[in-house]
Amino acid sequence: MAACTRGLKNLLTSIKFCRTLPFQDERFLCTSALRFANNEPPKFVPPSKPVIINKTQTTASTRRFLSPEFIPPRGRTDPFKYFMERRDMVRRRKALNIPEFYVGSILAVTMADANASGKTNRFVGICIQRGGRGLGATFVLRNILNGQGVEICYELYSPRIQTIEVLKLEKRLDSNLMYLRDALPEYSTVDPEMKPVPFSPTGEVPVNKLKVKMCPKPWSKHWERPQFAIQGIRFDLCMTPKQMEFVQKKYAKPWEEYDMLKEYDTSKLEEQILAEVQQEMNK
Amino acid sequence: MAASGWRFVLQRGSRFILSRTTVESSSQLVGCIRTVKIPTWFEEHLTEDNQKYMRHSMAEEYRRQTAERLCPLKDEPWPRHEWTEGSRRVGLVAIKLGMAPIWTKSGERHAVTMLQVQDCHVIRCMSKEEYDGHSAALAVGGKNVSPFYRSEKAMELFRNAGVPPKQKVTIFKVSDNAIIKPGTPLYAAHFRPGQYVDVTAKSIGKGFQGVMKRWGFKGQPASHGQTKTHRRPGASGPGGDPAKVFKGKKMPGKMGNVFVTAYGLKIWRVNTKYNVLYVHGSVPGHTNCVLKVRIIRRTHSKLKCERRRRGFLMMTSDLAPVKNTIAPVKKHHRTCRTAPFIFSDVVLDQHCVFVCFFSRGQ
Repeated sequence: MAACTRGLKNLLTSIKFCRTLPFQDERFLCTSALRFANNEPPKFVPPSKPVIINKTQTTASTRRFLSPEFIPPRGRTDPFKYFMERRDMVRRRKALNIPEFYVGSILAVTMADANASGKTNRFVGICIQRGGRGLGATFVLRNILNGQGVEICYELYSPRIQTIEVLKLEKRLDSNLMYLRDALPEYSTVDPEMKPVPFSPTGEVPVNKLKVKMCPKPWSKHWERPQFAIQGIRFDLCMTPKQMEFVQKKYAKPWEEYDMLKEYDTSKLEEQILAEVQQEMNK
Repeated sequence: MAASGWRFVLQRGSRFILSRTTVESSSQLVGCIRTVKIPTWFEEHLTEDNQKYMRHSMAEEYRRQTAERLCPLKDEPWPRHEWTEGSRRVGLVAIKLGMAPIWTKSGERHAVTMLQVQDCHVIRCMSKEEYDGHSAALAVGGKNVSPFYRSEKAMELFRNAGVPPKQKVTIFKVSDNAIIKPGTPLYAAHFRPGQYVDVTAKSIGKGFQGVMKRWGFKGQPASHGQTKTHRRPGASGPGGDPAKVFKGKKMPGKMGNVFVTAYGLKIWRVNTKYNVLYVHGSVPGHTNCVLKVRIIRRTHSKLKCERRRRGFLMMTSDLAPVKNTIAPVKKHHRTCRTAPFIFSDVVLDQHCVFVCFFSRGQ
């Protein structure tokens, strides 16, 4: 697209340039006539190439990033199983570019759909959840179309997915945005014709510190409870500080912090898997 | 085998996973080690040097018996017979790895169970007279284990076959033309995609359970004047005339931990390099349990329905042996591609993959 527009602009500028030239002969543009012309035409000065900066073009990020589904869950399953799944995942990633994205990023997914016109279906929405480990990893996109909330759960490694574009790369305060179902609709509305927002391929991913206003209760879940640990909701608009304090105290599970069976340090494992995946991808 | 070389230490403050040696050397790091040291036979009976030597030599021995005997053609195999209608091949002993999704060429998603064929060997061959007078049988074992927990009688069996002791040994009834020499390794390439198998394993034990969970009884309502009666079995039979509870009455009791067979599971994919079978749906047993995989004997109604739907007869290669004869390689299913393997007696480096899955788009 970018190359095409650039070519078109070049053509336009050259035509403009030609028009400004003092034409003696109408057949000036004809090359054969030009070759045998008696009077020498003024020396051709090529126009300066217009520098077109395509701001919409997004480059692949260069930061070291491992998609969360590569990290195996804690358990007694043989690591060999995850190794086999990783092989398939890497092979799929070689065929389809799965970009780096987070919960809160705005994505556009094109999917093969036998029943759609043109056999494909494109959906733009905000990623509200990433789930699953291994080959069965999923992500949920949410948008509001014609006043109706729509959520689609995509399988990351399904062969029906044709492209995944990141329109806006950012994080939010929470790692799960399911509370957008109970928030005002403007927070999950995304323009389906949205143009990609450029992002820097290096450095930290920007965090959008937006705090959403919620619809009146009842909500689908008690988001104020400490088990969700939600940062991105303006609780001050819907609950008094006293109520908030009461809920925090009543449902707190302070002992879980000291539960050694829940400890799972993946930093070493992550490094190891990242190295393995990068090696496989470069093969 | 019994004594693991690594000990995982979970420590609250530092959150490190340390090896046992590190912990012993740096005493200041030892906060709370939640490991239980169980002395093994080695540690009770041998000096440290001898332990080291034994571990090394045993690993060598196991390697020699399994990895270096990958090709059964090195020591003369028994003559190979022609496959005929009604012959019955041996099955495999595999390990359940877990479940994963798989997509067909048309984009349908299926859940599959990954079964790894690990150190699977033929242990013993029994002739018709020796077994039950009706058919010959082969004892097949899978997954190498420590020799210390096997009786002398069992060890003799493995010694005769020239293989390390196995965790599980099962018997497969085979036809006379499908017998294989003891000591022959079996691989995942024994099966091919598109075949149907029965998988037998011990189901997950649930302990002592009531009738609602164990037999699916309805129980009683939660309210409307129930007194202490919500999940109880109710009446156990008529009184008066029979004046007894009939035998086989469904009652509370131990549930699970019995051998269960999942019938007619389709093999979607076979990885011959890592010896992994991708079998349709779920199979009984917990992850890492050892299962028995055998080829289907009868056509089950489910398969019959599918065949009728797809409009072709039961393919001969369903029962055709890979081991004994060369079965005709057919393009038998539109959603699976077979790697062109012919014999399973060499390790094949080809993978049977779904071409669509790794190609761009649709």
